[in-house]
Amino acid sequence: MNIAKQHHGLSRTLIGLAVLAALGPAQAEEGDDLAQYIKPESSVSIGLGGTSGDSQERALFGQYNGMRHQNGVLLLDVDYTDREETTGTWMILKGHNLGLSDRDLVFSQEKQGDWRYFAEYSQLSRYYPRTFNTGMLGVGTTTPTIVALPSQGSGAELDLKTQRERIGFGIEKWLAPSLQLEANFKTEDKTGSRLFGRGLNCSATANIVCSANSGALLLLPEPINSTTRQIEAKLNFSGEKFLLSGGYYGSFYNNAYGSLNPTVSGNLWQPNGAVLDTSVNPGAQVLGYMQQPMALPPDNQAHQLALSGNYSFTPKTRATFKYAYTHAKQNDNFAGMGLTGGPPGDDDLGGKVDTTLAQFGVTTRPADKLSLLTNVRYENREDKTPINFFSPTTGRTNTTSSLKKLNGKVEAGLQMPDNYRATLGVDYEIVNHGIPVSTYTPGGLTLLREETQEIGYRLELRRAVSETLTGAVSYITSRRDGSSWLNAIAGTPAVTDDVAAALASGRPVTPSMLMNRERDKVKLMADWSATDRLSLQFILEEGRDRYDVPDTGIAKGLQQTGNSFYSIDAVLNISEDWRLTGYWSQGNQATNVNHSLYLAQLETINTSIGIGLAGKPVSRFEVGGDISYMKDKNRYVQGVSAATTQPYDLPDVLYRLTSYKLFGKYALEKNADLRVDLIHQRAKLDEWTWGYAGVPFFVSDYTTVSMEPEQHVTFVGLSYIYKWQ
Amino acid sequence: MNIAGQILIVCTCISLGGAASPLLAVELPKLDGDKPPAKDIVLREDAKCTSCHEETDAPQILSIGKTKHGTRADSRTPRCVDCHGESQAHVENAEKTQVRPKPDRSFSGQLISVPSDNRVEHYFGILGKKTDTPVSERNDACLACHRKDSNKIFWVGSTHQTRDVACTSCHQIHTAEDKVRDRRTQTEFCFNCHKDVRSQINRPSHHPVPEGKMACSDCHNVHGSAGPKLVKRDSVVETCYTCHMEKRGPFVHNHPPVNEDCSHCHNPHGTTAESMLKVRPPFLCHQCHTPHGGNTAQLANQSAPPTTVGRTGINYTQGRGCVNCHTQVHGSNNPANTHPNPQFNLR
Repeated sequence: MNIAKQHHGLSRTLIGLAVLAALGPAQAEEGDDLAQYIKPESSVSIGLGGTSGDSQERALFGQYNGMRHQNGVLLLDVDYTDREETTGTWMILKGHNLGLSDRDLVFSQEKQGDWRYFAEYSQLSRYYPRTFNTGMLGVGTTTPTIVALPSQGSGAELDLKTQRERIGFGIEKWLAPSLQLEANFKTEDKTGSRLFGRGLNCSATANIVCSANSGALLLLPEPINSTTRQIEAKLNFSGEKFLLSGGYYGSFYNNAYGSLNPTVSGNLWQPNGAVLDTSVNPGAQVLGYMQQPMALPPDNQAHQLALSGNYSFTPKTRATFKYAYTHAKQNDNFAGMGLTGGPPGDDDLGGKVDTTLAQFGVTTRPADKLSLLTNVRYENREDKTPINFFSPTTGRTNTTSSLKKLNGKVEAGLQMPDNYRATLGVDYEIVNHGIPVSTYTPGGLTLLREETQEIGYRLELRRAVSETLTGAVSYITSRRDGSSWLNAIAGTPAVTDDVAAALASGRPVTPSMLMNRERDKVKLMADWSATDRLSLQFILEEGRDRYDVPDTGIAKGLQQTGNSFYSIDAVLNISEDWRLTGYWSQGNQATNVNHSLYLAQLETINTSIGIGLAGKPVSRFEVGGDISYMKDKNRYVQGVSAATTQPYDLPDVLYRLTSYKLFGKYALEKNADLRVDLIHQRAKLDEWTWGYAGVPFFVSDYTTVSMEPEQHVTFVGLSYIYKWQ
Repeated sequence: MNIAGQILIVCTCISLGGAASPLLAVELPKLDGDKPPAKDIVLREDAKCTSCHEETDAPQILSIGKTKHGTRADSRTPRCVDCHGESQAHVENAEKTQVRPKPDRSFSGQLISVPSDNRVEHYFGILGKKTDTPVSERNDACLACHRKDSNKIFWVGSTHQTRDVACTSCHQIHTAEDKVRDRRTQTEFCFNCHKDVRSQINRPSHHPVPEGKMACSDCHNVHGSAGPKLVKRDSVVETCYTCHMEKRGPFVHNHPPVNEDCSHCHNPHGTTAESMLKVRPPFLCHQCHTPHGGNTAQLANQSAPPTTVGRTGINYTQGRGCVNCHTQVHGSNNPANTHPNPQFNLR
């Protein structure tokens, strides 16, 4: 907690100096023509790029590429590679996007077959594509102040951003011809803020905090200032028949922030535009809750010891195995996080989770035309966190989340006459969630289950119809059921199916991962080289999952999902110097979810098309371009039950992305190129998350969130590339 | 005269000699006592091959010299025949056919004539498949050395191995630019088979894969792993924790799916819904929970705004959906003993 942090950002100047220092001695070599083919090559690419529009029009384009807020950018890539031929020692410096805020720089040195070390720096900025309009102060701190706006849209514009900066080091050393040491360490700082918030409602029937119908919603950005560290070291020992690897992996999360403590200054607004007076109840009660501290992610760490390897009993019979033991803990101090109300005498949760993994697999080829595979994997996640009373409700505790998983797989591959090849497989899975803690019942659930079992069968038939045509058809079917149902409403005693079916007025609710499930899936593939120059690939896929729990009417929750996918890919070699490629695909994902008042029939329909051309019109000139189009249509149909008279089908959500990319590269000299890039991207996102039909969704301080629904961006880049050996 | 010129002359002589006696084409050093024996150009003992396949015939083959395989100071690096076999029939062409017999092991397909740009072929398969050499035999040539790589321990029995994916389906050997090892170009190889993901990564909520800051191999070990779906670490959650460790907990109030499998709720390959959620709340949450039963999902402007903030369909449909109030959906470490109960992941 609250560890001192040193930011290790590299300025652009420092990176530039480092690059120049590294490359300074390098010069183009004259000499042997053959060298151009066999000696490692280095290059530096430097140029300028410009983007059209403003940050709003680049919101989707600039999420990760560092161009959201920059009209002009420095394009700088470095790839320096040097090999000392007599010793086989390499020195490599690679830098990408050095002029942008998503830059990477890696330096390594290696004597091949003996030792290697590397150091790397990476920076990644992520801009949340939507813009806030708000009166909030202190965004990004743990103590923001909420100042309600007089009207929607009258506040300041605010873009949220998170930034990751990572430094890593690693070494490899062959201690002996059969013994290798590998170790690496990386530390990553994450800073900024991201979408977060809090809300509260009191109604006439649930007025625990407020004395009357009231409540509030706030969009409080989560302040982020954390460090993640990972260290891994392992020894690899290899022999004629085996490889053994054993080591340690430690991972540590430290959050400089423990809790978010907002202050609400003045009154808030209710959804109907009326003032929520925070000086008197119920507004004062709402205010009291809104200003309570919110927990931020606690420090945690895990330590793993692992041993894995493989062994060849014979050239045709091989085994793999792994055993790993992980001890994880979370004992961040409540008071240090700024949180109160824990059980007397307990300063922290004392969270402890021990996980054991054991895996063993064998593959063998008992006959030339038969191969067999079997694999067993067992994972036991044992949550040893002490149970204690954490609740305003008497007798209610924290919960633990232990889990045991056993997976088994048997597979046979058979080469048959007429170029047929069959694969038969059986998969088995048991997931044991443990019996839920009776003093802690997850909200809104009726039925739980200790264990689920699933068995699945796979059949795949492949055939090389001819030298130019290969086809495959596969079918997968599986069935999942489980142990007795547990009544989550009454402290999780086991109940019969009949009793379970009658709970919650015959419409019980259970997590989808505990439901019975029937799964069927079929897939067809064909790979056809129609001519020497043209090859085609076809895929057709259909699948369906059906979910089921005991009920007397229609159970709530997930009912059914279905998916289909079709695609065609083509590659045409027009000539030695020109290539045309293209694809089309269509996918459909359907999900049915039942609720008290509706049966949601959700559907995502995706269409993707792409076509690309690349070639060399003359020997010194390379050109290429592609056009890609993607449309994602999301449908939200709500079949309304008789219990309501509000027939709301939500409007469709549509996302459309069209990209045009062109490049040209001209060889000015043997070792120098000029490159031009042109990208034009048109994105359209028509949706209702933060507003619908001109009416914004607003929270209680009149903060609103918006994004340009149509964004057109053009990027032009010009680079000079210098190469040497 | 430079070495290439010398080799060219030697090759010419060899070809002429070869016409007279097939054996002479193999026994290069014995060809002519007056001529210097063919010299290796790139790899140890490569004269057998490079006496014909020199820079004017196939310069791209020589480019192996730019790679780790071409580092002759490392005694472990291969000879041509270690990968391609002795290929006597190819060298001798005893039948003197117009088209020579193929080498013993060919890995055809990885060499393309058109220099591919990073972007242009980003989504397209580029690898041919024209070789008679069985995949297992091709892979054995690589594994003869690379079986010692610790990240390939679980190759045997992995999905890619059992589905006949060849090393050279993805890796290009005779080039310094093995594009599958570059984050910016890796996906074009993965999308050869995983075409559904090709569409998903272009959705507005995605990991920075299209931007080249992440690649499939940041989460998956395509050479095999002890985890499901070839994830790099032992489970889906442990793989996600490498970047999202704040979700690990354990918390005072856990949300069980979180530490079981992130993909219960998220599609890490990309979604149109925010936060890479597979389905937008409330429908995602209603797959397991159906509280607040008095409202359907609805939008402001679809009806008159409610008079109070109540548990309305609007408040759990728009904005962040259910998460507007149940903010701590990944778990809360708040020990508070006051209402509202932190058990419901409100604060």
